[in-house]
Amino acid sequence: MDFPEIRFDMIWNYRELFIRGLWVTLALTFVGYLGGIVLGLFVGMGKLSKKKLIYYPCKLFVDFFRGTPLLVQILLIHLAIIPAIFGHSLGYFVSGSIALILNSAAYNAEIIRAGIQSIEKGQMEAARSLGMTNNMSMRYIILPQALRRMIPPLGNELIALLKDSSLVTVIAANDLLYAGKVVAGAYARFWEPYITIAILYLFLTYIFGKIITYVENRFSNSFVPKKKKGMFSIRR
Amino acid sequence: MIKIQGLHKSFGELEVLKGIDYEVKEKEIICVIGPSGSGKSTFLRCINMLEEVTAGDVFIDGVKVNDPQTDINAIRTEVGMVFQQFNLFPHMRVLENITIAPIKIKKMKPADAKKLAHELLKKVGLADKANVYPEQLSGGQMQRVAIARALAMQPRIMLFDEPTSALDPEMVNEVLDVMKQLAYEGMTMVVVTHEMGFAKEMGDRVLFMDQGLLVEEGTPEQIFDNPQHERTKAFLSKVL
Repeated sequence: MDFPEIRFDMIWNYRELFIRGLWVTLALTFVGYLGGIVLGLFVGMGKLSKKKLIYYPCKLFVDFFRGTPLLVQILLIHLAIIPAIFGHSLGYFVSGSIALILNSAAYNAEIIRAGIQSIEKGQMEAARSLGMTNNMSMRYIILPQALRRMIPPLGNELIALLKDSSLVTVIAANDLLYAGKVVAGAYARFWEPYITIAILYLFLTYIFGKIITYVENRFSNSFVPKKKKGMFSIRR
Repeated sequence: MIKIQGLHKSFGELEVLKGIDYEVKEKEIICVIGPSGSGKSTFLRCINMLEEVTAGDVFIDGVKVNDPQTDINAIRTEVGMVFQQFNLFPHMRVLENITIAPIKIKKMKPADAKKLAHELLKKVGLADKANVYPEQLSGGQMQRVAIARALAMQPRIMLFDEPTSALDPEMVNEVLDVMKQLAYEGMTMVVVTHEMGFAKEMGDRVLFMDQGLLVEEGTPEQIFDNPQHERTKAFLSKVL
């Protein structure tokens, strides 16, 4: 194999582009993630509803956004749906955020539905037998327990979303991937820019992974007193 | 106090209760016995509508419980329930398990609810366990907390669904003792149980159920010493 001489100075020349790309990627991820969790909570609970008028729209939503590629959804929203409603584009950030919110909401809805269903039936019965309404039982008894079980899969979603946000680059978002493409185009070199953004993505996912582990430990075992770690104890 | 008329309950094709009529009077201790699958737990769960009734009526103090117009949540605050599997809330400390319902439903002041909870814990013999999580308790202790939790709503009726069936034998008595104390204080109780000793000693009336029907009903002496029906005799010969 023929390796070219590595020149990272050209990355340095474009550093502002990379820094802005980093912020755009982070902003898209956070907006998409938070929106996706809130919407996913409603859709997930809707999928548990016995009312067909609530259940079927929620099921359709999940089926569509899980069953079609995110790339197609981004293009459809940016080039077809938003122009049809507003008459013009609202920019990549609006379109990209909406696509990421809807897409991650579909995945989160399934995580949330499964999390709620994983709580033993007796918990709801105990709450109802005390005289709590269905909403009170959900809020004080079921959701606090279910959320703890949802933390690990929701953490995976955060990392997946961070990486998926790079797809928004196809509608000319100036995210991290875009910065790499610009440098690659300007110098006709591919090693340095793509290695650089790969490392930056890796850096971000590593940080997120640390945060998720912290949140998991903080919430999942809060009622178990800390045990001393033995030499061969298994790390979880 | 509790009046049950022509109670039927089906799960799909399966008919679990095939027409039950009974009336529980105030301060009575009713013990329901019978083989597994006889419908006794379902019968109990129909009283506070944890199961929707298929046909027939349940009245509590003259209020029709299975009427869609009835505020079932208000009725449930008057009817405490204790489950076989305890069903304590694992994410809350013992104290919060007991105070959550009075605070959220009755809008009791947290300080008052705490005071009440400490009194109830003392009553069930767990005064020192207020701040632990359910996970750290034994089965018998969990069930006693569950009784305290139900009592915190100051109910007038208590339903017990096989409260000692999931317990190790040495823990059964600590739970039965709490139930006896409640009975002496004049609580109206319906107890589904396999503890024949408890039924004999504490029951005002004993109900024998089999295959979804109330086969025989009477005082403990009548049921245990002089059963009339073949099925009652056959069941008692196996368990006594």
